[in-house]
Amino acid sequence: MGRRVLLVEDDARVRRVLRLALEDEGFTVLEAADGRQCLERLAEGEPDVVLLDLMLPDRDGFSVCREVRRGSEVPVIMVTARTDSHDVVAGLESGADDYVTKPLVAKELAARIRALLRRTEPLLGGRAPRQIVSGDLVIGVEEGVVTLSGAPVGLTRTEFRLLVELATAEGRICSREQLLDRVWGYDYFGDSRIVDVHIRRLRTKVERDPANPRHVVTARGLGYRLAG
Amino acid sequence: MPAAQSVSRPRRRARPWRSLSLRARLELSFGLLALAISALLSVVSWVVVSRYLLAQREQVAVTETALDRASLDVALARPGASPASVVSGLPSNDAAASVVFVDGKWYGTKSELAPGAIPDSLLSTVSHGEGATQRLGVDGGLYLAVGMPVGRPGEAVFEVFSLVELDQTLTTMGLVLASVAVVTTFVGAALGRRASGVALRPLTELTRVAGDVAGGRLDARLVPRGDPDLDPLAVSFNRTVNELEHRVQADSRFAVDVSHELRTPLTTMLNSMEVITNRRALLPDSVREPVDLLADDLARFRTLVVDLLEISRHDAGEGLVLERADVGELTRRAADAAAGRAVTHVEGADLVGAVDKRRLERVVANLVGNAETHGGGCRQVRVERIGDAAHITVDDAGPGIATAQRTRVFDRFARAGGDSGQGVGLGLAIVQRHVAAHGGTVHAEESPEGGARLVVDLPLR
Repeated sequence: MGRRVLLVEDDARVRRVLRLALEDEGFTVLEAADGRQCLERLAEGEPDVVLLDLMLPDRDGFSVCREVRRGSEVPVIMVTARTDSHDVVAGLESGADDYVTKPLVAKELAARIRALLRRTEPLLGGRAPRQIVSGDLVIGVEEGVVTLSGAPVGLTRTEFRLLVELATAEGRICSREQLLDRVWGYDYFGDSRIVDVHIRRLRTKVERDPANPRHVVTARGLGYRLAG
Repeated sequence: MPAAQSVSRPRRRARPWRSLSLRARLELSFGLLALAISALLSVVSWVVVSRYLLAQREQVAVTETALDRASLDVALARPGASPASVVSGLPSNDAAASVVFVDGKWYGTKSELAPGAIPDSLLSTVSHGEGATQRLGVDGGLYLAVGMPVGRPGEAVFEVFSLVELDQTLTTMGLVLASVAVVTTFVGAALGRRASGVALRPLTELTRVAGDVAGGRLDARLVPRGDPDLDPLAVSFNRTVNELEHRVQADSRFAVDVSHELRTPLTTMLNSMEVITNRRALLPDSVREPVDLLADDLARFRTLVVDLLEISRHDAGEGLVLERADVGELTRRAADAAAGRAVTHVEGADLVGAVDKRRLERVVANLVGNAETHGGGCRQVRVERIGDAAHITVDDAGPGIATAQRTRVFDRFARAGGDSGQGVGLGLAIVQRHVAAHGGTVHAEESPEGGARLVVDLPLR
């Protein structure tokens, strides 16, 4: 059986056609017409990825996304009408892993889902050490566990993958383009706001004072690096 | 328009006043008016004051002479009185010279003033029994001679008073008044300049705001200054711009809404077409060709809707998302991806600037895509730094763009030059808007190898 995609979309015709086309791409599609149904489906059993339209009839997509995030680390791809508005940043800040813009085309969508699922699996086949220690931050690469001064830190799989990517650079600067490529599977033209928002989210979890980060440090105009 | 100029020139020469700016005319008018008023006031006050002072002086002189005459009358009436001793016995006053004319002879002070300077006409008037005064010029000095009959008929006393001090006073006053007139003229001109500045400020402001509006800044407004004469202009101007802004916004909102609405059916069509295309082998031959045609046009339709949304969002005033990026590297990636092969040559490395990456990528992709579809293929893309700008050229292998078409290709839905008859759509119009939003320019010219060359100059901030 293929990967399970939970499709949250209020337009029945769009749902039908995306189900057909995504099934053609080898996915199993679960459908939800609004936010309430989305949370119900999630309660019944976690899919591999959630495709969440931000414009839902019953409630706004951001709050649905935050609620999904509260109980689950499932990757969320949000569907926005446009790339420019604050929607993208707001969506990413409410916990989405990535975004796509309308009109959705199953082939492109499938590529994004695969990139997302590929990176969210514990991979790194032997390339990285099993455990990386950076100051009081300990990253168990194989187990997917991070501790800060011995206390476990709950990261989503994308946040974890981003942290591992920074850690394996061994203090060298990673440009946003490199991170987009390695963590999200985008080429040069990915939206670097995705990286910035994920870095912010990561800091709220691994930094004692996110305003003065000691671990995930910004190299102004160049990118980010992990400081010991 | 050279013809219009040659017509208007002689007219201007005939009326030089008209050719002056309003500001210069006001300045000149105020200056001339100030000159006229101050000159008139100066002359009048000089005349009045000088007359008054002269009259005063004359009155004093006449009074003094009358006093002397009275004592002379008494002294000369004494038997055996010598006129010479009588004159020298006169009490001293401020007369420069005092003489008496008795029995056809002069007695008294001998000087160049008297009796030599006493005109015969004055002497004869006084000899006939009438008192008289006359102003005299002696050796460049101004004097007043006062004559009065004394003693017997035919006898007279003359006293000469110096008017030099009065003359100096009047000269000084004249000079002061003239300087005041000159200063007033300049002050008047300066006031005119200031007044014209104040009067023209609303016009200057109007010009600037109207220029901003014409340049696309539809939120520019005139600020009412609380002046009852000018505020109606500001209000009606602002109302006009408001209406214009509403219309422009309604137009672009309509386009935004249309393309938004189109995306839902487009999603259904594109994905259904994918499902069909995945089963192309199952289709009967007779259906395959129309399905392929439909698939191609659906792809074009998608581009069009996405472009329409992009351009209308831009027209609705979407702002730039600036971040520092290497324009050379960005251009290389976007151009090579759009062409599907390496076409880019980056000259030098110093091409980092604050740009909207997504939009700049669209610019390059659209230029290369345009060269591929309408220009017989993209020949080369070059990026180099010229001054403070990134200079990007995209050459194609087509027949080039006719000179008359070179600005029109950036219009929305412009027609591609000639044979194909196919519209170039919105690609170059989007290029033009995105480049302009960065403060840059784009134009079309002829490539040295033939073909068309599209040139983008993008300031690197």
